[in-house]
Amino acid sequence: MVKVEGRKVAKGQRIRVLMAKPGLDGHDRGAKIMTLGLRDTGFEVIYTGIRQTPEKIARAAIQEDVDVVGLSCLSGAHNYLFPRVVELLKENDRGDVLVIGGGLIPPEDVKPLKARGISAIFTYGATIGEVSDYIKKELRTRRTRREQLHSGAKGGRGVSKRKAG
Amino acid sequence: MFRREKLDEIEKRKKAWEETTLKRSLERFGLEKSPTSFCSPLDIKEHDFLGRVGFPGEYPFTADVYPTPGPDTGPDFLSGGTGLVRASNYTGFGTPEDTRDFYQYMKSLGRQGLAPGVGPNLAFDLPTQCGYDSDDPIARGEVGKTGVAVDTLRDFEVIYEAFTGNSELDRIASNWTINAPCNVILSMYMALAEKRGVPIEKLRGTPQNDILKEFAARGTYIFPPRPSIRMVRDSITFCTRHLPNMNTISISGYHMREAGATGEQVLAFTFSDAMAYVQLGMDAGLDVDAFVPRFTFLTFSGSMEILKEIALQRAARRMWAKIMRERFRAKNPRSWIMRAAQRATVGEYSKTRHRPLNNLTRAVLEGVASALSGGTGYTGYPYDEPLGLGHSLEGWQLNIDAARIIRYEARLCDVVDPLAGSYYIEALTDEIENKAWEIIDKIDAMGGAVAAIESGYIQREIARSAYQHQREVEKGERVIVGVNRFVGENELDVTTTRLVPHPYDPVKRDMAEERQLANLKLVKVRRNGKAVLKTLKELREAARKEDVNLIPYIFEAVKEYATIGEICNELRGVFGEYEPFAL
Repeated sequence: MVKVEGRKVAKGQRIRVLMAKPGLDGHDRGAKIMTLGLRDTGFEVIYTGIRQTPEKIARAAIQEDVDVVGLSCLSGAHNYLFPRVVELLKENDRGDVLVIGGGLIPPEDVKPLKARGISAIFTYGATIGEVSDYIKKELRTRRTRREQLHSGAKGGRGVSKRKAG
Repeated sequence: MFRREKLDEIEKRKKAWEETTLKRSLERFGLEKSPTSFCSPLDIKEHDFLGRVGFPGEYPFTADVYPTPGPDTGPDFLSGGTGLVRASNYTGFGTPEDTRDFYQYMKSLGRQGLAPGVGPNLAFDLPTQCGYDSDDPIARGEVGKTGVAVDTLRDFEVIYEAFTGNSELDRIASNWTINAPCNVILSMYMALAEKRGVPIEKLRGTPQNDILKEFAARGTYIFPPRPSIRMVRDSITFCTRHLPNMNTISISGYHMREAGATGEQVLAFTFSDAMAYVQLGMDAGLDVDAFVPRFTFLTFSGSMEILKEIALQRAARRMWAKIMRERFRAKNPRSWIMRAAQRATVGEYSKTRHRPLNNLTRAVLEGVASALSGGTGYTGYPYDEPLGLGHSLEGWQLNIDAARIIRYEARLCDVVDPLAGSYYIEALTDEIENKAWEIIDKIDAMGGAVAAIESGYIQREIARSAYQHQREVEKGERVIVGVNRFVGENELDVTTTRLVPHPYDPVKRDMAEERQLANLKLVKVRRNGKAVLKTLKELREAARKEDVNLIPYIFEAVKEYATIGEICNELRGVFGEYEPFAL
């Protein structure tokens, strides 16, 4: 049985995002642009500031009851830090939170990160529109899947994981 | 300066031109406004060559800070040598052993790699830059990533095994991109010199040591701004007395520009920071001309609009000369010159991950901008840099060759400030300078750079400019070829594969954390724990007294192999830690 918990983003309800900078990297141009841009798109966005541990990020995500965690890292430590946030969310029964990442991520790292629960990686050139569209679509898909599971209907397993850039 | 009657005549002719020649053309194209502009003496009516430009090496240094860059330093002019640029390329990764081996390999290549007498330009990993040991939980995943891990003096001893003989410490200059723990790194270098029998007054080098910009961008701060600049004061006063050949600081606009600041903002923020450092030395009782000549400036970074960037460099040189001569009443012309190894660049954020070969074209424009603004033709980082941390050797060669072509084939470095006197460039130089002064006036009114950082003004302005830039990119108002224009199914995505393997061994990099933890463990076992505790206690007590210079205390701790984390933790206990602003 799949655990169905967390906020269900109903139509018209504001999507809550935690924008976070795990690790010691202080290059936060991207994180700040995304924070301001997603806010202007209509999301509620909380920015953690730099130098957060995965533990602090997971705790903040749970306390703030967010739908999405956006992780940004440009120091090369993403392979440890990003999956660690996903793990901690899962350990706290909040595996439903959508975790996306960005920064300076070499192309060869994208696949392994996705396999470890980072739904999408956005790097140089990604626009605010692309990120917000992805979040909306992905949350909608997940909601549908949850509703199908709830109503006992088959098909939940049939929903394939979305591809994202 | 132009004669009045001549200007009147030009003004009349301009009006006539607008109403006839230009108007006909606009009508033909169906345009209301001309998409181009044209400059004439009317745009620089007050222009006065001696007052606003002057000869190279003379006040106000608009043309250049030196009368001539000096003799050609040969094909290795980019990687060091006998000229003005003495440091190697920015390098460092993994453990101290990895970095030592890399420098040794570069040295084995001879002049193509690292010439004798050229010192390292060390990149440190983030735990080192933020004052954490490799075994600190927050360092997990970061050890050896953005640069070399340094925990104790042992690590410096290992790195510098690559620098002996004709590259002994008294024959090289070292560069360290280190800010908050600068005095720890400086102390390690002095301790190393002492062990090798090199007198410390012979040491040359440049620590970045510009902590103020870390609050505004990049973020490798530790303590709040006031105790942070006390640490800078300590290095300025200590070096002025004991290390006369050490450049005490490399004041940096680069990170703020890359984080989003505009050209005018970067000039204003950088010079506001610089003025705070000058004041710091003066308040400590130093004569302004005794320490400012050892200040250096890092690049301001730049943009693809290279004519603006060339004008910005000219404005910068003139502004610093005015600041030092008029505001601080410096008498020594060495205090008036903005010492910087680099001139105009296009900035790393201009390089794209899409169609990476286009970055070669951008690099050529960068080299042209550098050459025309007094630089060496420096072409920035290789085209494949945006693909990940690091770059290929063939990428380096292409960039260095581009700079050589600019210099030796196109001969763009033969004339100093070749655009001086251009109506457009002179008008643009004046405009950029005026706008930067307006921002400086605002910061002055707030109480200077430290107050402007404490209130979050500079941080907010940079974030706002970055967001504005992003919106312009997304709306297509600002074109980036292959990213937001000229993309689609008919456009080829021109990519490349690496010909030469990455110089940083990926296996070694993956193992770096584990190996450095073992190194640190061994040092902790072997050192005299009691002696370490004693030096740390003395450091803590000294830190409580604001007027005490902490470098002698840090020096003693470092010699006992106290770690960078232990030293910074003592200071954290006294100074507290900086809490950044919410957005």
